[in-house]
Amino acid sequence: MISFRKVSLIYPNSSSTVFDDVTFEVGEGEFVLLIGATGMGKSSALKLMNGLVPHHTGGILGGDIQVGGISTRTVRPGELAHLIGIVGQNPIHGFVTDIVEEEIAFAMESLAIDESAMRKRVEEVLDLLALTPLRRRTITSLSGGEQQRVAIAAALVMNPRILLLDEPTSALDPVAAEEVLSILQRIVHDLGVTVVIAEHRLERVIHYAERVIYIASDGSVRVGSPEEVMRSAEIAPPIVELARALGWEEMPLSVRDARRVGAKNINLGEPSPLKALHGEGEAVVEIKRASLGYPSRQVIKELTCTISSGEIVALMGRNGSGKSTLLKSIAGLAEVFSGEIKVADRDPKSLSGHELIELIGYVPQEPADLLYGESVAEECALADHDNKLKPGATLDLAQRLLPEINPATHPRDLSEGQRLILVLAIVLTTSPRLLILDEPTRGLDYQSKERLISILRERVATDSSAVLLATHDVELVAELAERVLFIADGELVSDGEVREVLTASLPFAPQVSKIFAPSKWLTVSEVIDALQK
Amino acid sequence: MTPKFDRDRVHPFAWWAWSILLAIALFVSSDPWYATSLLIASALLVHRFRGDAPWSNSFAMALRFIAVIVAIRMIIAVLIGVPIPGTNLFTLPTLSLPDWIAGIRIGGPVTIERLLSTLGEVMIIVGVVALFAAATSLASPHRSIRALPLAFYQLGLILTIATSIFPQLVASIKRIRLARRMRGVEAGGLRNWRKIAMPLLEDALERSLDLSAAMESRGFGQRIKRTSYRPDSWGILESSILFSAAISAASATVLAESSLTMVISGGLAGVVALIPLSAREKTYVENSREFDGVLS
Repeated sequence: MISFRKVSLIYPNSSSTVFDDVTFEVGEGEFVLLIGATGMGKSSALKLMNGLVPHHTGGILGGDIQVGGISTRTVRPGELAHLIGIVGQNPIHGFVTDIVEEEIAFAMESLAIDESAMRKRVEEVLDLLALTPLRRRTITSLSGGEQQRVAIAAALVMNPRILLLDEPTSALDPVAAEEVLSILQRIVHDLGVTVVIAEHRLERVIHYAERVIYIASDGSVRVGSPEEVMRSAEIAPPIVELARALGWEEMPLSVRDARRVGAKNINLGEPSPLKALHGEGEAVVEIKRASLGYPSRQVIKELTCTISSGEIVALMGRNGSGKSTLLKSIAGLAEVFSGEIKVADRDPKSLSGHELIELIGYVPQEPADLLYGESVAEECALADHDNKLKPGATLDLAQRLLPEINPATHPRDLSEGQRLILVLAIVLTTSPRLLILDEPTRGLDYQSKERLISILRERVATDSSAVLLATHDVELVAELAERVLFIADGELVSDGEVREVLTASLPFAPQVSKIFAPSKWLTVSEVIDALQK
Repeated sequence: MTPKFDRDRVHPFAWWAWSILLAIALFVSSDPWYATSLLIASALLVHRFRGDAPWSNSFAMALRFIAVIVAIRMIIAVLIGVPIPGTNLFTLPTLSLPDWIAGIRIGGPVTIERLLSTLGEVMIIVGVVALFAAATSLASPHRSIRALPLAFYQLGLILTIATSIFPQLVASIKRIRLARRMRGVEAGGLRNWRKIAMPLLEDALERSLDLSAAMESRGFGQRIKRTSYRPDSWGILESSILFSAAISAASATVLAESSLTMVISGGLAGVVALIPLSAREKTYVENSREFDGVLS
């Protein structure tokens, strides 16, 4: 269906190739997973398949790419619209109309398909993706998972032979992600469509894949069955790490496989309980019956909780449950409608400038919002100036956290993970009492994630400070947090030790805990430690 | 099941025709009372019938813009202007100017008459801005573009991108300003503008590229002919909106006698349009209730 023959790609104004002499084939009706570290060209590979690269982006393409027998070199992406559907990383950026069903019909209108055929197709696709109740809604009023489904519907409506998706679950909570992925699997099985997904969170998708395209960090590309690729790939979900560490013969990809292959023979017992919570540290954040949002629509309802120094607290919940609003209010960026929020006994809303950043460090969902310098060095110098530090302090910290960073690089040229670490360095130079991170691992590969974990651990260990992060990344929470606040529909539904909260709900349970249920183990390293004793 | 014809949708050109017709009438009559009542009528229509789409807030933004126009014009009127005799409010010191610009005077006595005449002038502009803002709020730009003739295709592409990006830019500005605050930088000042402008520009560019890539890969512009999933139709509703504008325009230009008739003419622009729309509103509420039932 898709064949790459000796493909090389170089973007304009770039000195290094993205791909070098890459050859592979993807067959018809396969569920293909495209993996690789950030910045290795996953998105480029997808865009090559429908011709957006190089027709839309520019660049020099060597070799040949054939899709359904057509060379992408000879046609514009629009001419492949009936053959390939593509869903970008941020579907909201690609919506052209306002109403769900109009958005779905857009491609057919462009290709002048007659009205009765169009209506029939729209109905079919609405049914297939369970969008019928939402058909007249405005797209902006939908949740992230619903928007993702609309984008898939809009791509599927042309009856394409191939569907390409760039990180379809990275912005979604575990429940919504599961919904989207099972719909994709149905599309492969029922309609015989070839689906290619680029994804970071392997634990979510690997068990659906029939074939994996792996772009290694040296730029080489390998194609194989998931079991084959997972034996040696640098990036791996917890389940595979466990299998490698325990030296299992067979490579399990799903929880069921893992239990069957080996876990049922392992008797671990129960993990020893962690240190007591709410214990020693002094209160950093105090929230008393706080309601946030608007008088007409409260996003958070009468929430009460305390976060003490030395704690790493994860804030979890489904898309739209009010996590970001809560974080913003704690940082003094949003109105508190009733009740009160105090950070180190002060009202964050009343603080500004220097005082504010000494108390609270805030890393927004788009870390790049904090950056405006022309180079890493300038960025750090600006931070020194703003924070009234001695020149060079921020750059020192940045270089310690990110040894390979080149001070002359433009911040936009850093990879997503590097940029996050740079922003962390800028925020942490003032040693704030409270560090807030909003969805820090979106689009982050496993290496960058590990780096983030060690920075945050070190932070709470040395200073009398606390870390609060909102995330959908269950595995990150299992590795990093000690305490979890779970919000649903604006209310705090559970607040407790990470082990208790995560193992209590199926969709939010990490892989390891599913494998060893009912024992409450969370991470691979824990299990290995326990086995060595 | 084929979806039945949808009464909730007003043809996007209806509101545009309404506002253009009234704007012409306003220019012809040049009456501040007419302008004021049109401002109120469009505010009421927008308040009652706007949706929840991003551009629906453009009327609120226009009101801020209007306030700025009025303020600037009035300040200039106080400082510079042709003297109109009447009740003197206060007198500013006169700035002596060289002989060769003898016609202009800066400072001098400020009279109520002079202020009122300036206010009258500026109200005409305010009225026109309000009318166009109302059309922008009430008619979806996306649908307006798709209803345009095919010859405007490239224009359509550019306008679709522009109209989608601008509401999103407002959101981006808010987001970036919050982020600024968290770097200890307070709002205001030229230096800060550069700091907001950089990421904002980057954001807007990235979004435009994403959108044009999405449109291209979905076959936009592939065929000269284009079909429509749900063609916009011109019915009683659209005609009555246009009719209300026509009556108002006619009475304002033909019956232009007293300020009272002008106010009434302006009111007509809104009232006639309100009647069929109110009927529509009722069915809309019922529909949406049914809708919630399905969702919950």
